[in-house]
Amino acid sequence: MRSLIKKLKLNTLKTAVTFKSCWNYLFFDIPKSWRTDILAPPLRIGVKTKELITKHYLEGMYANGIKPVAWVTSGAPVEFLKALGFYTLYPENHGALCGARKVALELCQEAEKNGYCIDICSYARTDIGSALSGKTPVGRLPKPDLLVCCTNICQTVLYWYQVLAHHFKAPLVIIDTPFIYTEASLPDVEYVQKQIETAIETAERIAKRKLKFEKLKEVMRLSKIATELWLEVINTGKNIPSPISAFDQFIHMAPIVELRGEPQTVDFYAQMLKELRKRVKKGIGAVIKEKKRVLWDNLPIWYSLKLLSETLAENGICVVTSTYTYAWGELAPMIDPERPIESMAKVYLHPILNRGTGDKLSLMKRMVKDFRLNGVILHSDRSCKPYSVGQMDQRAKIVQELKIPAVLIESDHNDPRAFSEKQVLNRLKAFMEM
Amino acid sequence: MTSGKAIVLPIRYPRELLRAFGFEPVEIWGPPKVEGTLGGSHLQPYICSVVKNALSFLLEDGLDDAEIILVPHCCDSLQGLGSLLLDFIKPKQKVLTFYPPRNKTEAAKNFLIAEIERLWKELEEITGKSPSQQDLMRCILEEEMADRLTRELYMNRERIGLSSREFIELLRKREYLHPKEFAKEVQDKLKITKEKEEKVRLILSGVLPEPMEVLDEIDAAGGMIVTDDTSCLRRRLLQPGTSNRPFERMAERLLSAPPDPVLGCSLEERIAFLEKLIEESNAVGVIFYNVKFCEGEDFYYPQVAQWLKSRGIKTLKIEADISPPLPKQVSQRIRAFIESLGGRA
Ligand code: SF4
Ligand code: SF4
Repeated sequence: MRSLIKKLKLNTLKTAVTFKSCWNYLFFDIPKSWRTDILAPPLRIGVKTKELITKHYLEGMYANGIKPVAWVTSGAPVEFLKALGFYTLYPENHGALCGARKVALELCQEAEKNGYCIDICSYARTDIGSALSGKTPVGRLPKPDLLVCCTNICQTVLYWYQVLAHHFKAPLVIIDTPFIYTEASLPDVEYVQKQIETAIETAERIAKRKLKFEKLKEVMRLSKIATELWLEVINTGKNIPSPISAFDQFIHMAPIVELRGEPQTVDFYAQMLKELRKRVKKGIGAVIKEKKRVLWDNLPIWYSLKLLSETLAENGICVVTSTYTYAWGELAPMIDPERPIESMAKVYLHPILNRGTGDKLSLMKRMVKDFRLNGVILHSDRSCKPYSVGQMDQRAKIVQELKIPAVLIESDHNDPRAFSEKQVLNRLKAFMEM
Repeated sequence: MTSGKAIVLPIRYPRELLRAFGFEPVEIWGPPKVEGTLGGSHLQPYICSVVKNALSFLLEDGLDDAEIILVPHCCDSLQGLGSLLLDFIKPKQKVLTFYPPRNKTEAAKNFLIAEIERLWKELEEITGKSPSQQDLMRCILEEEMADRLTRELYMNRERIGLSSREFIELLRKREYLHPKEFAKEVQDKLKITKEKEEKVRLILSGVLPEPMEVLDEIDAAGGMIVTDDTSCLRRRLLQPGTSNRPFERMAERLLSAPPDPVLGCSLEERIAFLEKLIEESNAVGVIFYNVKFCEGEDFYYPQVAQWLKSRGIKTLKIEADISPPLPKQVSQRIRAFIESLGGRA
């Protein structure tokens, strides 16, 4: 078993792997080692999270030759791929997993050794490092038959997927989503819809089957329900004390990203919601002595979840929610399963990162009000320019207009070399004293 | 018909459209000789110096007399800057945006036509003018003429014998000159015939060569930029359109641009373009001059460099801020590189 742990920590796997053998080593550890004197015990749903994600990666290991495989960006309109029977892999999620398992640095360095600059997004470096070296904590990633890149989160993915297309000699579909500031115009929607239609044709060719419209509608329906449930999960944070923290959300958001459009995801979030509602009834808070409630902006710092969560909880601060996790729920009302393609075009034009910096500030202000928050932590993420540009002004406006403290902490979501523990803790200390 | 100056940020936009409304577009690539501090109060340290300096310049009221600011959304940082200007900074000039599509499909063309039309309507509103289709077509043809002359300049680059700096400076005049004035300057230069000099023939690749001292270093070391693969120059050298409908013709032109990372081109397209440039110019080396924190260039570099290596073409990668002075270490590396290719010791 020990040797398997070692191999799984970061290696190419040569032997067959079973679900059971993967179980303990894949994905995030259920935060059982987190301090339960200041934090509520881990959510029981964590066992299920781990099971779903383990199964997902395990299926991926043996997907080639059995199912068509698509590598997709986190904001890609994945529903048509699901309806066509694709196995979908999310390099960004794999990157997050590597970050949380603290192996991202080694993979970033693999990419850097091959000439990829340290200034490139650390998800991309993690993924490229993994593709070039074959190393991954999940044993093995399936090779893509198709790459689908949607630019609604950033332009970084546009470059990154060209690198992957060249490396894997795989066809690449680009779904270009014009930046919309607040709301998409008709030409924006028509443009994206046309691209989705073309993408479907390409995917059909690769899958060697025709897309069944009814099936697509069903996948969209499941996507909508899961997204709504995820939003409800997040909204339980409106209770005082909050039964869930943003750190919990970071851990349990994987299915809404990776397994959207599947019945198991609907069941999963329904179960999670039930558990949280029970907590609300019993008055259980994610932070045992919740004194202050704050908002997190931008990606998590994957390798530092425990440190940050405990440091803040020690001071009675619950990071109730985040703009990042909220992004996976807020568009639920826009999903219309009866008009799947047009609705995909609309929904996938509207993620937070495809809207203006002013619109993001409005969202933050709304969240502060709705979740009754007393402060904001803005993670200035060196890797993620589209998320981070505007934060300096957003912070100033939050302080001025809402009269609550807001702090900017400099770091990187996956590359620990950009994280200065001392500096971050000092800034948080000052923030906590405000 | 004059409407005054238009500040335009990099990289792609329908120049002819602004001219049809009587605007004089002045492109702001940085500018390099600006202190980035003011920009730094809105932008984090990991945002490129082109965007940071541009914001500093605008905050310092540079080109105060300009009437509009056009921010093409060509990369995440430029897009972010556009949003900052519109949502927070709110300069006195009207801020306009433009989104060049990242693919070249029919759908992209239709979107681009709609995008140009949107910009047209906004300009109509701002100026109260509505140029005729003939006026617009005339402006398009003038830009096409300037493109044709630029192509000629590239073809005759050796014969006219300008230094790297003179050559690039001349080409970059397109960033602010009227196409007719630009054409005149190019035509004058095309009359020159100089004796061929033995120089190390190089291609410059990247977004832009700033500070321009980098070109002096290349010249001083016995090198010569014979052609370029830069976003500010050759990657914006467009083909003439074919349509008689002006909006469609402008869209055709923009979509004819050579491969550029910011357009989401494939590695194969970039490699094929470089291959063409090498064949045309007999270059023996490529200098990748990357602006620090410019991701597009950084992503393509390893595989493009590997391909060049396999073709026996030597490469040098430099990463720099656009603000002068040029770091000593960069000068030394340029000299060593050119020397290794047979330049002056
Ligand atoms: S972290 Fe930011 S830059 Fe990186 S892939 Fe995600 S959205 Fe793009
Ligand atoms: S240098 Fe690169 S990152 Fe900066 S504005 Fe130009 S394309 Fe964007």
